[in-house]
Amino acid sequence: MATLEVKDLHVEVEDEEQQTKREILKGVNLTMNTGEIHAIMGPNGTGKSTLSQTIMGQPAYHVTQGDILLNGESILEMPVDERARKGLFLAMQYPAEIQGVTNAEFLRAAINARRPDDDQISVMAFLKELDKNLALLDMNESMTERYLNEGFSGGEKKRNEILQLLMIKPAFALLDEIDSGLDIDALQVVSKGVNSMRGENFGSLIITHYQRLLNYIVPDVVHVMMGGKIVKSGGAELAQKLESEGYAGLRDELGLDVALVDEN
Amino acid sequence: MEAVQDYEALKASLLEAANEHGEPHWLADRRTAAVDAMVDLPLPEVRRFDYHRWPLTPIDPLQWQRSDKALAAGIEFDDTHIQFVQIGQTTVAVNLPDELDEAGVILTDIFSAFREHPRLTEKHFMDKIINAGEDRLTAHHVAFLNSGLFLYVPKNVVIDKPIEAYFVQDSTRKSPMVSHVLIIAEEGAEFSFTQHLTTAGDESNAASCVAEILARPNSHVRFSSLDELGEQTTAYLNRRARIGKNATIDWAVGVLNGGNTVADFDSDLQGEGSHADAKVITVTTGKQKNGINTRVTNRGKHSVGHILQRGVLLEKSELVFNGIGDIIHGASGANAEQENRVLMLSDKAHGDANPILLIDENDVVAGHAASVGQIDQNQMYYLMSRGIDKAKAQRLVIRGFLGAVLSAVPSKTVRQELTDVIERKLEDGQKFK
Repeated sequence: MATLEVKDLHVEVEDEEQQTKREILKGVNLTMNTGEIHAIMGPNGTGKSTLSQTIMGQPAYHVTQGDILLNGESILEMPVDERARKGLFLAMQYPAEIQGVTNAEFLRAAINARRPDDDQISVMAFLKELDKNLALLDMNESMTERYLNEGFSGGEKKRNEILQLLMIKPAFALLDEIDSGLDIDALQVVSKGVNSMRGENFGSLIITHYQRLLNYIVPDVVHVMMGGKIVKSGGAELAQKLESEGYAGLRDELGLDVALVDEN
Repeated sequence: MEAVQDYEALKASLLEAANEHGEPHWLADRRTAAVDAMVDLPLPEVRRFDYHRWPLTPIDPLQWQRSDKALAAGIEFDDTHIQFVQIGQTTVAVNLPDELDEAGVILTDIFSAFREHPRLTEKHFMDKIINAGEDRLTAHHVAFLNSGLFLYVPKNVVIDKPIEAYFVQDSTRKSPMVSHVLIIAEEGAEFSFTQHLTTAGDESNAASCVAEILARPNSHVRFSSLDELGEQTTAYLNRRARIGKNATIDWAVGVLNGGNTVADFDSDLQGEGSHADAKVITVTTGKQKNGINTRVTNRGKHSVGHILQRGVLLEKSELVFNGIGDIIHGASGANAEQENRVLMLSDKAHGDANPILLIDENDVVAGHAASVGQIDQNQMYYLMSRGIDKAKAQRLVIRGFLGAVLSAVPSKTVRQELTDVIERKLEDGQKFK
């Protein structure tokens, strides 16, 4: 069993244009194990994506206090690629496009980065795994020979993120709004992909605005984030409650002094 | 007065060397005339690039030397390919299929061609395509010429297989490489030619490599190069095509030398409806300096010239890319487009991409784009978030940057070779980080 712990995490981002720093996370605590699916919900601008980017190691986010531990070991000083090889994966909201590098070549490089030089994946084994996952995600084989994300539609990019997840098989997957911009059919396919990973060697942290995704990927734990902190945790029913009462309702119930970005 | 005496002595020694070599009189005369011209001629201008102190014009006496065949160890000889292999001044292989020989195709070393095909060579060698008297480097090239190749493809002969020419600079001793490629494509001829330049040995030497291509009407020539001269070589490259009516030349040039390089790649669009497409890639490492002029001159009506250049700089290297579009008065309906982009991997490197448009005609279409940029951090983050280490991620991002040029290289083999050489050069450059 693997464990990911976030302890009293405070994070600042720098606004390069205005030369200012702004604290976004103000003491986040979270513990998850493989075998569990956690969801983080919360209103816009509350730090959900900041949390996932900070765990992955995006250089623009600065940890000012607290720690992130993977299996008891702090990862704060590790570069992004090392965190990935240790078992973290982030499905991104806005994946980069890279011309000249095919999807297949990229996938092989990512898989081989985790394996020793004298034990690289064979072409046959790679193709077999690839075909299986393409079929699962209802993706065309031609996607693999296209350049990485180049000219992909929004939906194709999301599927491609999940394809990478299935190929790389990380211990923990952070899924940052994989439901945004997906129609219901694509949402089902993407959910099917994530659900196929469920098991004792896989854990996931799903970030979403809406409860809709959680009908397809049923979480074990739901956390609500507001004002840079986790303010409430519960089971799948918490998501249902939020859907009917909204974030403002929960805020008032908890007596929090937090302004909601989209509040009228 | 002493200087003049030196030049007289130099001319006498060149004449003697030419005689000893059994060269035709016209060539010997041109050598000595070139020495006279050299004295006053300036270096060719590469805007924003200073190379006047480089040792590009050594005047040591011309010597005829044999090179060890073993220096060709890195070359894959294949008698099913059309190949030409020269080490230093020694031609070690010429492989031309019988049917092409019977069709009148000539593939031979340049000095044999001067002796055996004077009608074809005297008229075209360093005269109308590139003139010996253009500048100090062209004059030096003629005066000290010591190796090279001649290719002649007769009217309407189409060669399917690429012609592979390998030139190994012999730097196991102190001696400049002065190598000339002369290519004549007669009307309607069509073929691909690939030039590989490498260096064996560690002596510091100059290399003067000139290629002249005469593309007669309706011919189509694809010229690719993999320039991999050594770190101790100071190189001058000059390649130019004179392109006739409705003829086409496609360039795919990979300047991947280890040492300092000044280069001039020119397409002279003489004929109506002539066409040139110049793709140039370069990677600079260490303290290397590269200055590259890629020029298209539109003279013919409705002529079309495109330039696409991509450069990657590592460590403390310097690269200047000049894209020159020159549209001559009368070239109505001409089209000249260029795009020059430079990617900096180090803040100690110095890169420049300059579009230079010289337009003396109203009825034309011309455009340019240029940029000097850093590596895209979003792309790096994305690749590294999948576990790919920084160096490999950089190489993939660079491949993406070069992709626009690489994917347009027509030959799959050349494309792969270029990709491999770039990968090697990047890996070497990254080691110093």
